[in-house]
Amino acid sequence: MRRGDVLALLLAVSILPPLYAVLWHDGRGGDYARILVGGQQRELVSLHEDRTLEVSGELGVSTLEVKEGQIRFLASPCPGQQCVHNGWIHFGGDVLTCLPNKISIAILGGEQRFDSVNF
Amino acid sequence: MNQKPNVWTQVGCGDEGTASFAMDAVCDVPRIPHYLMRALLLVILLAMLAGCGERGHVYRQQAYTFGTIVDITIWGHDEAKAQQAMAAVFADLDRMHRDWHAWEPGPLYDLNQALPSGEWVKIPEPVKPLLRRARALSEKTGWLFDPGIGQLIRLWGFNDQFYNRTEPPLQAEIDAILAKHASMADLEIEDDRVRSRNPAVYLDLGGFAKGFGVDMAIARLKELGVTDAIVNAGGDLRVIGQRGARPWRIGIRHPRGQGIIASLEVAHDESVYTSGDYERFFDYQGRRYHHILDPRTGYPAQGVVAASIIHDSSAAADAASSALVVAGVAGWEAVAKAMGITQAMVIDDTGKIHMTPAMAKRIHFEVSPPPEIILSEAW
Repeated sequence: MRRGDVLALLLAVSILPPLYAVLWHDGRGGDYARILVGGQQRELVSLHEDRTLEVSGELGVSTLEVKEGQIRFLASPCPGQQCVHNGWIHFGGDVLTCLPNKISIAILGGEQRFDSVNF
Repeated sequence: MNQKPNVWTQVGCGDEGTASFAMDAVCDVPRIPHYLMRALLLVILLAMLAGCGERGHVYRQQAYTFGTIVDITIWGHDEAKAQQAMAAVFADLDRMHRDWHAWEPGPLYDLNQALPSGEWVKIPEPVKPLLRRARALSEKTGWLFDPGIGQLIRLWGFNDQFYNRTEPPLQAEIDAILAKHASMADLEIEDDRVRSRNPAVYLDLGGFAKGFGVDMAIARLKELGVTDAIVNAGGDLRVIGQRGARPWRIGIRHPRGQGIIASLEVAHDESVYTSGDYERFFDYQGRRYHHILDPRTGYPAQGVVAASIIHDSSAAADAASSALVVAGVAGWEAVAKAMGITQAMVIDDTGKIHMTPAMAKRIHFEVSPPPEIILSEAW
């Protein structure tokens, strides 16, 4: 092996940890939230713009809040309020649902941290 | 029931975004000696290969069926085949929901009406496999998971998602039901017939039917030639194969509304199931009343906030996760052991995590500071 080869090898190895950190590790949440009503897309919302929005579902109007890259159910007309209790989501691949009102939110873009969420 | 599902497709390997970012970075570095450039390119190429593996697509559809939202994910190359498979599974799930509903007219409902007579009753065909499995698993949990307590579930109103109690039932109402000692243990099952020794037995298979349905959905996908998929029914899921070159990544939701508490990778036919006090509940005078009822007390189970299981079968994982919540901090290990479950995690009401060593190897906590963990013995 020549000196250049050794150097190249060393460089290749030394660059691996930062590459790993950049390519494999978290940090970046999703960019968009897909709002589905009854399984059909109703709206695509940017997570980079703080706002509240009203979505009408099977039972009535649910209020969603977008803030600092996250989204949640702020209020919903369902009896159990599970969707509101679930709080904020922001990871790509995460999903929130208000079952009685048939509204679901799926986070898209960013790093697809999860293929599916268990709860 | 089943509305036309929505389809979305994510094209490419999913890590392409980051891979092309690496390419840009390289092009911006001027006048690097040749061998350095070669080394850099080699590293980046390897990184891209590792990230991408083989090319393929993620096909996803969701539909409201089985009284919940069901999300199917398929990794593959053939869109038409994926669509067909998903449509077939959604149709199956719709049928299972009708067949196995405890409170709406259908085969299980009919059986429930016939059981109190105490006579031998022919088991409706679609209910047969479900009934045997439910009874066998309930017995293994020491009847902590018991689908025979339908009357108690209805008293609490947890059988109807469009209804929520604002206060618990009267003690006298609960006592009256407990005094009848209804349990699936009262059922005698012979080949194609069943009889009940106790007229108070009312079968509500609840979440268990969903778990059993997920097993059948996966079997159907395999039959149709799908090798890599996730079926997620209302948060509980089973996977087969993997996502191209990497395993499927699963997040477990925090039981107290703080995002994702932990993540894990699953592949090659595994189920991930969680039962918790946060899925369905109401608060009354500062106390939480949730949907996992303890058949011994007639009240929601206490002490455990959530129980998560990794296991091959969804049906078993479903029964086990409910039973572990009921068993509580002192009893969960014995129940898991009896059921042959080696990967289990229990979060108690102080936020401490109890788990088996096999589970600890799989789980990566996503919260900081990491929670306090108490490891059980291995079995």
